[in-house]
Amino acid sequence: MKTYLGELEELVLLTIASLGNQAYGVAIQQELEVRCSRNITIGALHSTIARLEEKGFLTSWLGGATAERGGRSKRFYEITQAGKKAVNEAKSIRDELWRLSKINLSLK
Amino acid sequence: MKRPPLLARQFFEWVCGNARVDDLVGDLDEWFHLNTQRHPLWRARMMYWGQVVSLSFSYGIRKRQRDARSGMYATSNFSIDMFRNYLTVASRSLYQHKYFSLLNVFGLAIGMSVSLMLIALISYVKTYDDFHEHRAHIYTVTSERTEGVDQYAYATAPVLLTEPLAQHPDVRRAVRIRAGFDETVKRVQGTVPLRGYYVEPSFLEVFSYRITQGNAAVALSKPNQVVLTESAALRLFNATDVLGKTLELEPSGLLEIGAVMKDHPINSHLKFDVLVSYATLPEPSASVKDQWMNYGREYVYVWLREGATTDRVQAELDQLAQRTYSGLPIKAVFAMQHLSDIAMGPDYRQAIGPKWEMSGMIVFIVVALMILLPACFNYTNISIARALKRAKEIGLRKTMGGQQHQIFFQFITETVVITLVALGVGILIFLLARSEFKSLLAASSALDLSLTPRMLLWFFLFALGAGLVAGVFPALYFGALNPIQALKNKVHGRSSAMRVRKVLTVMQFTLSFGFILALVVFTRQYRYSVGFDFGFDKSNIVNVPLKGADPARVRNEFAQLASVQQITFASNVLGMGYSKTWIKSPGNDSLEVAQIFIDPQYLQTFRLTLLAGTNFSDEAWQREQGIIVNEEFLKAYEITHPAEALGRTFDVDSTTLQVIGVVKNFHFATLRLPIDKFFFRLHPNQYAYAHVRVQPNDPYTLFSELEKRWKNVSDQPFSARFFEHDIEEAYSMYKTLIKIIGFLGLLALSISLLGMLGMVVYTSETKAKEVGIRKVMGASVYGITFLLSKDYLRLMLLAVLIGAPVTAALFSWFMPYIQYYSVRLNGWDILWATLVLASLGLATIASQTYRTAMANPAETLRAE
Repeated sequence: MKTYLGELEELVLLTIASLGNQAYGVAIQQELEVRCSRNITIGALHSTIARLEEKGFLTSWLGGATAERGGRSKRFYEITQAGKKAVNEAKSIRDELWRLSKINLSLK
Repeated sequence: MKRPPLLARQFFEWVCGNARVDDLVGDLDEWFHLNTQRHPLWRARMMYWGQVVSLSFSYGIRKRQRDARSGMYATSNFSIDMFRNYLTVASRSLYQHKYFSLLNVFGLAIGMSVSLMLIALISYVKTYDDFHEHRAHIYTVTSERTEGVDQYAYATAPVLLTEPLAQHPDVRRAVRIRAGFDETVKRVQGTVPLRGYYVEPSFLEVFSYRITQGNAAVALSKPNQVVLTESAALRLFNATDVLGKTLELEPSGLLEIGAVMKDHPINSHLKFDVLVSYATLPEPSASVKDQWMNYGREYVYVWLREGATTDRVQAELDQLAQRTYSGLPIKAVFAMQHLSDIAMGPDYRQAIGPKWEMSGMIVFIVVALMILLPACFNYTNISIARALKRAKEIGLRKTMGGQQHQIFFQFITETVVITLVALGVGILIFLLARSEFKSLLAASSALDLSLTPRMLLWFFLFALGAGLVAGVFPALYFGALNPIQALKNKVHGRSSAMRVRKVLTVMQFTLSFGFILALVVFTRQYRYSVGFDFGFDKSNIVNVPLKGADPARVRNEFAQLASVQQITFASNVLGMGYSKTWIKSPGNDSLEVAQIFIDPQYLQTFRLTLLAGTNFSDEAWQREQGIIVNEEFLKAYEITHPAEALGRTFDVDSTTLQVIGVVKNFHFATLRLPIDKFFFRLHPNQYAYAHVRVQPNDPYTLFSELEKRWKNVSDQPFSARFFEHDIEEAYSMYKTLIKIIGFLGLLALSISLLGMLGMVVYTSETKAKEVGIRKVMGASVYGITFLLSKDYLRLMLLAVLIGAPVTAALFSWFMPYIQYYSVRLNGWDILWATLVLASLGLATIASQTYRTAMANPAETLRAE
């Protein structure tokens, strides 16, 4: 069975992917805010991350403590192979729908 | 540098508990740092708070908390996998140490067996009367009577209460019951006894019985109508469609069957063959005052309205009692008892039917615990003593992150596994001993001890509980082990634990010793009672109940037999029964005196000795004139010389009787009571027994001859017994006691011996090397056996030293309650009991220590 990927989940996965090896809590939230204009609370973000971890789309490791953080490590997230497959499926569904579209979706 | 609000962080950490949220706190701090650059400080703080709240309620935190609970380094958890692991380890360890497992299983099984009986009994008695549809609203009225200084609680209450109660607004029905219908019915096949109650028609509305034939509403409305149970109908008519038939009573009376009902279930506190209409009873002849004061066998039941409580009815009862008894010499107060509390309730006198008294139950519970707890202690003892064997495993578990409570849980699991196995064996013992157990109970006919799912559930819960009791100490002990010491093999039974163990062993043996001693004493008591010199000659005397046959004709018939030497008649059998009457003499208070009616041959037949005066005269009886008194009687009237009593007159039962003789004291009552004031009277109408002195020859021919003669005078079945058999039966109570004590003693002793066996095996195992070295150095087998056994012998000796005086004190305190003429505990009893205990104990110890002592030192020393 295909795992359903929510819209926010997809956004978070892609954001994490776009951040490369700098994807940790604060950075992800800022990126979502700046790039996607999505103002989500820290609780909502971590709920989403937790669900993605459960589905096996994310792994994480600790590291990169700074003074601002009171010497506490960051938890960096990385997209897994399963995660890549999931975003790919989501993308292909969209591409397919774009292709099948009977009206011209182009804005030009 | 600006600091984030401390309180918010503390709150967050408190919410997260032991979940790992370091990175989140770091994120929060980083956000705060960023926010302080863009916003004023208070705003940043607010935002921090907001984020804390947002995170606290998020799924992210919940998941981290859950992970923390079952993660690799979990600190509190219950996971099925670990549980499975405990079970595996438990079964392996039990299998590996088969010998100890067997000891433990048997010990616990024996210990639990008595408790299983108790649970079976209670769980059945708890179902009593639950077949009544209106059970929730039915109450019985009990009374507490005060007569002078005596105060007793009765299950009875005056039926006069029903009328005011029935009018009370909270009461739907109030019914009166009179117990004691006990008649015999004449049938072609012989006579059939019937027992039951006198009840009103509304009885069948209050209590739910299934009427199979007839109309319940009118079945008990007229005099001499009855409702018969099906089993009684079968006994009488061999059929159940007996509606409208009549029952002819012995000696006279006719009853009409108004309805037939299904037999009531046996778990009922009301037990009857037949219900007789209350109208059958004659109008009470006693005055109203007397009816309020004397209400034996009268019972009142109340059916309350839906939603009504007992408060107002009770208030009414209190008022009634106060009004009624204000001018009477006897006081009584009434109380209401719920139907479901009757079967196993307080000890009321004159209960209407089968009853399981609370006091008896408590004794039973104490006994069950006395057997169960030692068995649990055995397990505790053996487990702690064998800590060394398991220390490495526990040390390793702890090093790998096993927490104290996990180890605790592991060992509790292991104990529960063993108790469940023991439960299986215990149930086997229960099934084997069940019928024997039932035969010891007074109300066993109202008891069904077959296994039900409900009972099995109770058994299971009980086993879990017993497992917890037995396993909690070892589990705590193992849980608290220091892993470093455990891995270095430095664990030893703590000295305090050793002391406790010794105390427990001594207690167990004291208990066993007490049981053995009781057994010895009661056996002696039984022989003593049966062989007691009652003061009259009871040998070769046959007792024949007359059952209404004419004494003169019986004498004629029996006298024709060659083997019959003497025949005499009496109202009661000596040593078993007598009646009582009040006598008065001028210038003295009334005295209550025991009496038996006899004929002139009596004194000679029983070889009673006259101290003064004469026997009753042989002349034809016209009216009662004289009495023959005993020595106690003289004492009561302060007459020192028997001869002085002759000629004194007393008012007895509205005639005046003269003392014509004084007889030497003898035991006219049971040995339970001291000899009291007594006299013989002469009155042919009172004879109920024939006593026949016979020549001691073949009893079979004798009885068949007597029976042949008996047929000429009576159509009743002939029953006769030797006096000595009657006496034996009268004291069969001791046989029951001996059986119970023997059984309990056997259990207690087996448990103590099993416990000791475990300890001895353990010591012998751990001391194998020491023994080896001693042997190499030249110690003898005998010396080593003694060395290993010495400690246990000392414990047993201590148990005897404690047990003997305690048991002796107990006996001298309660034996007179059981029987006035009783044996005294003597040195021989103690010696016997000690010998039994010592020989069994020694055999147990020696079997192990001797084996260890015989072991080849080359073998034991090599095993490194």
